[in-house]
Amino acid sequence: MTNEEQKEWEPKIVAFCCNWCSYGGADTAGMGRFQQPTSTRVIRVMCSGRIDPAFVFNAFLEGADAVLVTGCHIGDCHYVNGNEKTKIRFEFMKDMINELGLEDERLQLNWISASEGEKFANFIRDVTEQIKKLGPSPLKMNHKRSW
Amino acid sequence: MKIGECYVGWATDENVRNKGASGGLVTATLAAALKSKLVDKVLVLKKISEYEAVPMHTNNIEEVMKTAGSLHSVPINLAKYITGMDDKTKVALPAKPCDARAIIEQAKRNTINLDNTYIIGLNCGGSMHPLVTREMLRQVYEINPEDVIGEEIAKGKLIFFTKDGEKAIDIDQLEEKEYGRRVDCRYCNIKIPRNADLACGNWGVIGDLVNKATFVEINTEKGITLLNNAIEAGFIEMEPASEKGIAIRSKINSAMESLAKKWMDKIFVPIEGSHLQYYINALENCINCGACKAVCPVCSCGGDSKCLIFNFANDTYKISMFHLIRFLHLSDSCIGCGQCTDVCPVDIPLAQIQRRFSNIIQPKYNYVPGMDLRIPPFLEVK
Repeated sequence: MTNEEQKEWEPKIVAFCCNWCSYGGADTAGMGRFQQPTSTRVIRVMCSGRIDPAFVFNAFLEGADAVLVTGCHIGDCHYVNGNEKTKIRFEFMKDMINELGLEDERLQLNWISASEGEKFANFIRDVTEQIKKLGPSPLKMNHKRSW
Repeated sequence: MKIGECYVGWATDENVRNKGASGGLVTATLAAALKSKLVDKVLVLKKISEYEAVPMHTNNIEEVMKTAGSLHSVPINLAKYITGMDDKTKVALPAKPCDARAIIEQAKRNTINLDNTYIIGLNCGGSMHPLVTREMLRQVYEINPEDVIGEEIAKGKLIFFTKDGEKAIDIDQLEEKEYGRRVDCRYCNIKIPRNADLACGNWGVIGDLVNKATFVEINTEKGITLLNNAIEAGFIEMEPASEKGIAIRSKINSAMESLAKKWMDKIFVPIEGSHLQYYINALENCINCGACKAVCPVCSCGGDSKCLIFNFANDTYKISMFHLIRFLHLSDSCIGCGQCTDVCPVDIPLAQIQRRFSNIIQPKYNYVPGMDLRIPPFLEVK
């Protein structure tokens, strides 16, 4: 990859957002006109507890450079404790992703409420910068079988 | 009798005593449980040859008596054969430490009712893969596998008996040549099944009783019931174990544990170079047969599980989703029994790959799977 191409390269980031908080946060970011990179593909789920590890692994295998797991702050979950389940599941996913040889930055968890538009925009901006430095995900380059 | 006490015992029936490994106490206890209707059935291994046996539910005392004797070359895990039974059926079974651990992990997931299950634990220094054993007999022992009439592990040596005599070779020597115990048994560090109702074995039997008695440690109330029942039925006799015997037993156990630790460090060397490439190389031969899931003794999802959705030949990822989901799902409950490695038709060392993930996660949460029913599985949230 030449230097010029690297400049143009935009990472593909999959962001799972819960319907009640972080999806609202993404909306607020838009309404507040906070500038953010166009690298994210937001997928709305009803609760962050719905984010199955299979979704995350599949996103990586299908070519995501990073996956973001976002939800309501602990204690604010619309479904009482969905995000506590996410938290435990995330710890397990994180250990596995690290052992698989993907960098720490490629899977991130953040709690963003519906009013925190700026936080959402900043988060996306930070992650995009980090991933740009890291380059494309190694899983993406070499993930399909030859037959 | 009290929990934590140790005894040495033997079967009163002379046939069982001679045929069973060291005293036949386990066989006699199982038979007694059937006889006095303490249990409705017993799960035992019906021997076909030295290398083959089928698990069998039976309520026939004769059949149980016939199963006496150890089978080191049949590395089967019995936990799955008692899952999903109705609430009334009571069952007793002999169990290696890994069987007992799998049963407890299944009980945590409500597929086995532990109140109805009597587990007679057997000390286990490791089992052997039947195909590898046959090859070893030809190559190293230079005897025809079909001629073998018995085997035994004693004092670090693996002994095979034929009608012409016996031949003993050091297990360490065999394992250097990749024969001997299964890889997963080498690094297994639970040799005495303190999680079962009784822990039986020949470690700690000393003096005149060597090879004639079984050492038994009582771990639960159910264990006391089993033994009392067998004594009342006149199937076994017992006497308290000597101090010296108990000391010797724990010495053997700690020696085995430190050996397991050594193997652990030897087998799980840190991956050099790209981790991803290591896992891709290991898993890309997978043919999606699903045998690893079918045989896994701690997997309790059944036929409608999530991992199976991805288990089809169109799954073209080099690291298949099927395995990724399984690795994550079992990272807390994997007991390292190695059944998945044994059955894999393309020889993927699945248990060792699974352990690479579990070895990180289990110590992090200080979770030893299958040892205590009171500790819930980690992926569970209240």
